[in-house]
Amino acid sequence: MAYTRKDVSTLTAAEKRRFVAALLEIKRRGEYDEFVRTHIEFFVPDGEYGLRSAHMAPSFLPWHRQFLLDLERALRRVDSSVTVPYWDWTRDRSATALPWTKDLLGGTGRRSDHRVTTGPFAYATGNWTIKEGITDEPYLTRDLGHAAAPIALPTRSDLDGALADPVYDTAPWDSTSRKGFRNRLEGWGTGSGSASWRNHNRVHKWVGGVMLGGASVNDPVFWLHHAFIDLQWSRWQSRHRGARYLPARPPGPGDDQEGRVVARQERMPPWDVTPEQLEDIGTIYRYA
Amino acid sequence: MSVSVGGVPVGGEALSPVRPGPVRRTRRDALRGVFGAALAVALVPVVAASRPTRSGADPGDTAFDETYRGRRIHGVLKGSWEVTVDGRPLHLMRRADGTWLSMVDHYRSYPTALEATRAAVDELSPGRELREADGQMGQMHMGQMHMGGDHGVHA
Repeated sequence: MAYTRKDVSTLTAAEKRRFVAALLEIKRRGEYDEFVRTHIEFFVPDGEYGLRSAHMAPSFLPWHRQFLLDLERALRRVDSSVTVPYWDWTRDRSATALPWTKDLLGGTGRRSDHRVTTGPFAYATGNWTIKEGITDEPYLTRDLGHAAAPIALPTRSDLDGALADPVYDTAPWDSTSRKGFRNRLEGWGTGSGSASWRNHNRVHKWVGGVMLGGASVNDPVFWLHHAFIDLQWSRWQSRHRGARYLPARPPGPGDDQEGRVVARQERMPPWDVTPEQLEDIGTIYRYA
Repeated sequence: MSVSVGGVPVGGEALSPVRPGPVRRTRRDALRGVFGAALAVALVPVVAASRPTRSGADPGDTAFDETYRGRRIHGVLKGSWEVTVDGRPLHLMRRADGTWLSMVDHYRSYPTALEATRAAVDELSPGRELREADGQMGQMHMGQMHMGGDHGVHA
């Protein structure tokens, strides 16, 4: 029986409370910080050596799909009623409304040091100490909207621009791919100007604080954001019937990307799972 | 050593994406680089603010050393960039288009290492410092866990 991931704006008070409680429990057990470490370890950029499975690569979407499933399984071991809600940032665009309320994720950071001081993940609660960080402060930080030089969340139109692309991904299968649904959604642009933050990447910037860095998983909004990104993959599949994950086959000898991207039927580290196996998750969960 | 054209390093063997093979940059190399750079900073007297080191054809191409928004930023291109902010390592990553991103500002890139470093400082609010040890995990994460090493992460 597939379970349902809900829009965060539709959660009941009890659903919010149980989601938060499950997060705090896996944090207490030390499981949560494993997710933070995994995400840091698998951020291999496309200008350096090695296989890229999580970012700047076709498997950006299946990698984060499996990552979400692992987190969700950990939460459901604590409370089998819990699923990861999604944050539709094309609709919930206020820095003071859901998901930034005291009964869910808490609000933006204070002006002086961006420390989050409200909600269940505030440092003073003692329940959410950052252990795996790029910087040394032990508290969660946010700068919603980037107050010093405000930027806007991506719009419905920005997202539609990605969804309209009928091809999943294109060579060179990295952050410089100009066409293809994957990079239009992941959001790598050119290296200058605010236009270089698009869709997925732009949301990381808008939230700011730890969400902007390599240890972004430390902010629980990471999961709500990525559930919404994951939903876009399903929407894209519905819009373009029969369109599949690409590349179908590994880039061959002489191709600069040989051995550096995960093809449809190849194993996607760190899991023993292929992108093909993650293209249809209808038997596991669905989005409401 | 790479040369730089318009801020985009080209022709640097150590920087060029290569087909699969051994990861050449070992954890020990990373540590040596990090601590070497930190030591170098510690030994250089602070004599001037915002004075770029002119060791390349153009300032900032192969090295920089300045005070930016009250923080000392130092970088040397040694195959890859070794950068410190207030003496603590900031890992930079290179994109396929030759631009740079840092572990602090991880979801966009900048044309030069210096700009990526300044952008990281822009995001460090007062009181936030890079981690002395954990800042290296970016340096070490690449390939470590696939090669039987530890995960390059310090809890």
